[in-house]
Amino acid sequence: MPAAIVAEQLSKTFRVKVRGAGLRAALGALVHPRYRDVHAVREASFAIEPGEIVGFLGPNGAGKTTILKMLSGLLYPSGGRVRVAGFEPWTGGAAFKRRITLVLGNRQQLIWDLPPEETFRLNRAIYDVPEPEYPERLAELVGLLDLAPLLDKPVRQLSLGERMKCELCAALLHRPSILFLDEPTLGLDVSAQDAIRRFILEYRERYGATILLTSHYMQDMTTLASRVLMINRGRLLYDGALDALVARTVRTRRLELVLGPGVSAESLAAFGTLRSYRPPHAILEVPREEAAASSARLLASLPVADLSIADPPIDEVIRHAFAEGAEPEEDGG
Amino acid sequence: MSAAAWARRYGALMRNAWMVDLQYRAAILLWVLWGLAEPAIALGIWWTIAGPAEVGGYDQAAFARYFFGVMLVNQLTIAWDSWYLDRWIRAGELNFRLARPLHPAHEAVADNIAYKVRTGSLMLVVWLFVALAWPAARLPFDPAHWALGAVAVLLAAAMRFCISFTTGLLAFWTTRATAIMELHSGISLFLAGRIAPLALLPPPVGALAGILWFRSTLAFPVDLLTGSVSGTGPLLRGFAGQIVWLALWILACRLVWRRGIVRYGAVGG
Repeated sequence: MPAAIVAEQLSKTFRVKVRGAGLRAALGALVHPRYRDVHAVREASFAIEPGEIVGFLGPNGAGKTTILKMLSGLLYPSGGRVRVAGFEPWTGGAAFKRRITLVLGNRQQLIWDLPPEETFRLNRAIYDVPEPEYPERLAELVGLLDLAPLLDKPVRQLSLGERMKCELCAALLHRPSILFLDEPTLGLDVSAQDAIRRFILEYRERYGATILLTSHYMQDMTTLASRVLMINRGRLLYDGALDALVARTVRTRRLELVLGPGVSAESLAAFGTLRSYRPPHAILEVPREEAAASSARLLASLPVADLSIADPPIDEVIRHAFAEGAEPEEDGG
Repeated sequence: MSAAAWARRYGALMRNAWMVDLQYRAAILLWVLWGLAEPAIALGIWWTIAGPAEVGGYDQAAFARYFFGVMLVNQLTIAWDSWYLDRWIRAGELNFRLARPLHPAHEAVADNIAYKVRTGSLMLVVWLFVALAWPAARLPFDPAHWALGAVAVLLAAAMRFCISFTTGLLAFWTTRATAIMELHSGISLFLAGRIAPLALLPPPVGALAGILWFRSTLAFPVDLLTGSVSGTGPLLRGFAGQIVWLALWILACRLVWRRGIVRYGAVGG
């Protein structure tokens, strides 16, 4: 089966006006405008198979959303090639747009003054969803997303989480096979985030959809993405499983201990780097390859009630990975 | 795509536009009042200036017919798209519209039809009441002329839509697209005949209005409905002007869209 999404040497450069502060600079910019090129995406290449869930990882301004917008046909790339569902996105026309959906966490298509069902009905007409199938599809999405109590409330009266659930419903009525989700859990509380994640997994299970998502919440990545693309300053730094990224980036593991009576900080420090010491709890960091041996020695030498081996928190791992992959700012003139 | 599918799309877009309108009833009333106020004020001024005599061939009754014609035709042809386009582009609201299998211009056209049916019909009711109470404001009844007038109004509406949409698309390049539309609106106050019949303008200015698109957008349909334009030659010249300028504005709109969309930065998420 051919890849659902292929990007080769994909690049996007924005030309932005440069203007200093103050009246003199403002007047000067009128006479001699100056520009600089901002390389939002630089020669990114990747292929995504049908049914995969892939997460884009990266700090603000890394180029994640720009890539999603190019893949969905909103932006014309400055260079490179893209095929999505067999189409070139910006020339694919209506046939391409029926195959995809784009959900933007902070720019929604729901009609603000009307109940969400009116947006659903509009999308039924725009996407030409067959009349007999519409009630069935709507009922399915309403059930999965638990939307029944929201259908007749004006969108402006819904909470952020309720709006995102309705947004997903509006975006999926035409049953797209490729989903571009930009920050789908942005600003939601923990239970709303969890509901969205469960829904995304369920949709993929039912329809075998290919899903690309960006998120700043690591929980989204660990729960949903079987593979991550790490991007920083427009450059793809890593493409692979999250576990492998952790193993590659992190050279230590954590021994999380519940101590017995009388174990001092000094005695623990002999086994590794002591990260935290709040008796009866303590955290030791040891070289990754020595984790098992250190644990055995520790249990034999000191009164330890409980011991577990863990990787450092994922946010810390990602921060570390970005720090390693970081490179100097490089903007053209 | 079948005609029935297009009808369903336009029906859904117009239905939503009307439902949103119902949420802003007071705003609609204010716009209707504004639509009445501008020609009513202009009429008051010219009514006073004319007195019992004529000005440039217009007596008080002719001014009344002209400005009530302006009130009706202006509401049936006005387009606000440059303000919407400017917001869609600058605030990133164009993004989801571009991701749908429907060109954003269709939503704008459907909104225009919905607006004109709603506001135009209110204006028509006002105008009918005025015409009943005040014989001077009645338009001469001639079915053939009214049919031609309807075509002229349709062409003018299409042209004003293209002008507004194209100007709004300038937001791809500038943060002040609406200021350009304001300037156009200010010029059209004089050159389209909103403030005075074109026959009363200084001859060079009147000629300029005829050479450019302004006359075609308002004064020509109004003159046609009030009976000021008749005879094959003037009618043909008037319609030819409308068709040529409409074709040029459609071309401009397509060109600006194609260039602008390549440049689009899809800001704001």
